[in-house]
Amino acid sequence: MIAGTPDTPRDAAVPSPFTMVAGDPAAMVCEGDVCIVPGSTTAE
Amino acid sequence: MALALTVTTPIKIDIWSDIACPWCYIGKRHLEGGIAALGADAPDVEIEYHSFELAPDTPVDFEGSEVDFLAGHKGIPVEQAREMIERVTGVAAQAGLDYDYDALQHTKTLKAHELLHFAKEHGRQLELSERLFRAYFTEGRHVGRPEELVELAVEVGLDADAARDALRTGRYAAAVEADIAQAGAYGINGVPFFVFDGKYGVSGAQPAQVFSQVLAQLAGERDGAAA
Repeated sequence: MIAGTPDTPRDAAVPSPFTMVAGDPAAMVCEGDVCIVPGSTTAE
Repeated sequence: MALALTVTTPIKIDIWSDIACPWCYIGKRHLEGGIAALGADAPDVEIEYHSFELAPDTPVDFEGSEVDFLAGHKGIPVEQAREMIERVTGVAAQAGLDYDYDALQHTKTLKAHELLHFAKEHGRQLELSERLFRAYFTEGRHVGRPEELVELAVEVGLDADAARDALRTGRYAAAVEADIAQAGAYGINGVPFFVFDGKYGVSGAQPAQVFSQVLAQLAGERDGAAA
């Protein structure tokens, strides 16, 4: 569930100090006015 | 003789979020559910909200529905906008939230973020965060207008005159900008985004069990380190 190596959020300009938790890849986030599944190209 | 002192500090949860983010309110409920699911084993947590203004170009006053905004202002096809709203409304209902997009008043959230920083300084940020989400998504309140924000601040125990002054002077605008800059430095592109103890990052409105697992893991790591 928790990734074994430090990772960074998408498109991070610099390494973040935390390890990203994989979790549910279908969990929604909002970017601008559109909410998406990260990594997908389709807004939902 | 040496004294062994055990000091248990709460697990810090930093959350980047926007009041106008439907998945942020859902994610808040999921986090709360994840904590509650641990029952007596739930560690103490300290939650701090950080600003993330999703759409800074949003006008304070927008005449029209959310579909109008998404379709007309952002160019999203009407049918797609309707589907987005139906989907999020359904998931919100599963989380116990009664989203009312017919009543929702789309607005710029900068002043709401400033008020959240004012509330943090006065120890009422969590209460105000919940109040603002509820006002925006379920009550159709206008969270972009200072006087409406002051009313909501008073409801969570904040002083009306002090809140009004904080909004009028823009005293917390720099704190909002600092939060957004921090998100950028972390590479955070979307919200909600959770950071646990500065150690684990969680992106999105994850299921409650994901939050439970992160908290249990952190608590276990602390126990291991203390042993």
